[in-house]
Formats: sequence, C-alpha cells, structure tokens
Amino acid sequence: MSLADELAARLPAGTALEFGELRLSRLDDGRFEARHRDDADTAGGLEGIDSVRDLRDLAKSDADGGYRPLKTAPGLKRGWRTETGCPREFLARLDAIYPGLFAAWAAYAKGELPPVPLRRTLGRQTGMYRLANTIDDAMAERLRRELCDAGCLRQIAWPIDEGDPAETITAETGHLPLLCTEACTFAVSRARELAKVARSVSHGSRVTSAEKSTPHDP
Amino acid sequence: MPVSKPDSALLILGHGSTENPDSSQPCWDHAETIASSGQFGSVHCAFWKEEPSFRQIWPMIEEREVYLVPNFISEGYFTREVLPRELELTGPTTRRGDLVLHYCDPVGIHPAMTGLLTKRALEMLDGSARPEETSLIVVGHGTGLNEKSTEAIQTQVEAIRAGETPFARVLDAYMEEAPYVADWRMLTDTPNVVVVPFFIADGLHSYQDIPVLLGIESEPTAAASQREIFRQNPHRFGDRTLWYGSAIGTDPSLAGVIVDQVACFDEHYHP
Repeated sequence: MSLADELAARLPAGTALEFGELRLSRLDDGRFEARHRDDADTAGGLEGIDSVRDLRDLAKSDADGGYRPLKTAPGLKRGWRTETGCPREFLARLDAIYPGLFAAWAAYAKGELPPVPLRRTLGRQTGMYRLANTIDDAMAERLRRELCDAGCLRQIAWPIDEGDPAETITAETGHLPLLCTEACTFAVSRARELAKVARSVSHGSRVTSAEKSTPHDP
Repeated sequence: MPVSKPDSALLILGHGSTENPDSSQPCWDHAETIASSGQFGSVHCAFWKEEPSFRQIWPMIEEREVYLVPNFISEGYFTREVLPRELELTGPTTRRGDLVLHYCDPVGIHPAMTGLLTKRALEMLDGSARPEETSLIVVGHGTGLNEKSTEAIQTQVEAIRAGETPFARVLDAYMEEAPYVADWRMLTDTPNVVVVPFFIADGLHSYQDIPVLLGIESEPTAAASQREIFRQNPHRFGDRTLWYGSAIGTDPSLAGVIVDQVACFDEHYHP
C-alpha cells in the first residue's frame, strides 16, 4: 500500500484526525481537507490554499512574519484551509507543513523506524559539533526539557543512552502523533552550546584551583 | 540531458538554514521544475539545517532506487563527510536492504556552471555596459581553515579565462580570505565591475553579508523574501559602476544541471 493510500485508509469518509496543530478531515464525498485545529469550528472566511508551494510558504513564517525553521514548533498560522480529492496530493500538502511526519509515523507504527539514542546522534558529529557529545546526562535531560518539551510539538521516542529503553509512542484515538525518532539539528546545536558553557566553566574552575594552589605573596 | 526514470526517485540535498528563510528555496524551485517534467517517479529535497532532514527523508521515498544530487557549490567537507555520514552512504552506490542509492556529484562542479556564470553576468549588464570594459568577479565564501574552499571558484575562473570570454578581466574573490571581495575597487581597473556570487541561494552570505562588503549596503538587511523590493542594479561609486546579482544557484537552468548530474552518474558508473 502506498503512503497516500495508507493516509486515505486512516481517514475514512466522515472522520477527522488531529495531527499536531492540524485538523485533517475526510468529507462525506471522500475529499480531504486540512486546516488549523483552532479553526475546526470556523464555518466560513478561511482562505483556500490549493498548492504545495503556497502551503510551504504558509508554514515558513509565524503570524508576525518571523521565520519558522522548525516546522513542528507551535505557532502555525491560522485562517486557511486546503482541500483536494487526491490522496497523493493531500499527502504532499501535509508534507509542506509537517515534512515527512506522516511517513515517519507510518514507518514507526510498522516497526520500521527504530529510534536513535541521543548519544549515537551526538557521537557521530564532526567539525564544530564534535563537542556536542561531551554533555553529561543532566545536561541532556535539560536539553530535552528546555528545548524539545518547551518548543516542539513532537513526541520523543529516542532515549538518551544506548542502553536506555526507548519510549513507545502510541496514537490516541482521533490523533496522529508528530513523532521524533532522532534528535534534530536544533538539539545538536543546543548540546554544543551546553558543552561550550560547561567547558568554559570547567576551565574557569581549573584556573581558580590553580590560583588557590599557587602560593601568594602576603 | 533529460533522463527517463519513472521507477526511480530523485533526492536533492541542500544545506538549508535555521536563520535565513530563503536558503532552501532554490532546492524547492528546482525540485518543482524537475517533478513537473515527469523524468522521475518522485522528486524530494532534504536538508542539513531544515526539514525534512537527511535523517528524516527515507520513510518519505517509496521508490527503491534513489539518485542523490548534492545541491552544493563544491566538493568538500559537506559532500565528502557530512552527507555520506548522515545518509549512511558507503560509496558511489549504496545498497541497503532492497534500497539502492546512487550518490552523484554536486551541482557546483558540473562543467555547465562555467557558461552559466558568463550568461548570468551578461544578463545583469543587459547591454548597458560593454563587457570589454567590464571585470567579472566570481565571489565565494573562502576560509583560511580549508585550502580547498577556494578551489571550485578558481577552477571556474580559469575555465572562463581559457574560453573566449567577452570580459576585460575575470577574477575570483572571497568573503573571508584574500583576494577579499571588499577590495573590489583595488582588484579591478575597469570602469565597470559585475559580481556574481558562486553560492547556492540568496541566503545569509550572498544576500546579506557580501553587499555590505561591496559597499552597496551599510549594514546587513533583512532576508530577500522579507524585503518589499529586491536591490536595483547598477550601483555607482564615483567613476566606477558595479552590478551585483543573485546567487548562481537560483538560476532556473540549475534544474537541468541537477538532472544532468544523474545522467553523468549513469554514464560513469553504469549502475
């Protein structure tokens, strides 16, 4: 079954699903519709958007015009709807807003997308990001709490260490999860920042220790 | 050279940016052009700094044979180290289960780029200045940390000089290493100078940083897509006139270069 057919099968006529900030619905005539979930009960006045390109532009900025590099950050604009009868086109339009997220869920649900521990992601980095894997577990927890939990709608499936059990994500009735099976570029960048701060503090404390051990003139 | 691969997917690999909204746009534009031509079963983009990321892309692709074309300006750290690592490539062709991945050369080293640079420069002048009274500067990033960083541009400049160039002078210049693009007035002796950025997108460097180095802007502006008016050429500095254009990677003909990298891969490796 193709991904588009799978999407159609998960959304029979007359039903709806929440997918991040989106509300996906299948109309009684079989056509597909997506809009912001906060516009679910809006009867009219929504702008119709009929192309992948225009939806990608929509998702690119927030209501104030600010760039949204992370598509699963909260803040998708409201006031629009998109409708098509073609499941392949509908999937392409969803990918414009949440790139690859339906495919990720479909693969994960079949056991074909194993989560990647944070340590493995950080450990393979090179260049300026090589430092990222020097964070300790407390810093990794802090990263998850302050960056991921606070600023992203995805549900994290990846554990921190290789031996840690991966969280099993299940779909609640009426929902398609926005899944995160591997830490993204933002997490790697934040890990590097935390590592840099830790290193400078550590260097600072070494200097302090050295100063303490150095005899001072009275 | 058009190809016919209805059972294969094309994956265009880009850098993307977490700061500049225009960095990934050329990849999407070229993908749309190629998809509408029907040469591949499907056409996708994946990025280092945007979504879908290199790590997220595989579940999206349903074809079992995929041609990967880096939309990068040169061979280097990204094409040789970061992309193969993140995409788990083992060589020109990688077999993973029933998936076959062909890793093509980056667009920037395609021979067509040489003619494209000259074409872009002449389009910018648009007949308003004589090429024989004009210097063409191809500008790149450059970094003192990597001696290979200037190689792609030097190769292009030498190729343009070796051909029948209409320009009085053709030279290379860089943001962060000598010869510095900020010294364009000293580097050239012609009344007219046309500067073509050898970059993939009108992003942070080519749209925001280089104009400051050239003296067109006093400080970095907002991103191109966030401004109401794109810059107007030419710019006058006393008796010198300067033209500065969009990144070479925004040229619509890059879509053909991407496809041609696939044809080149087949010709070379006969997969």
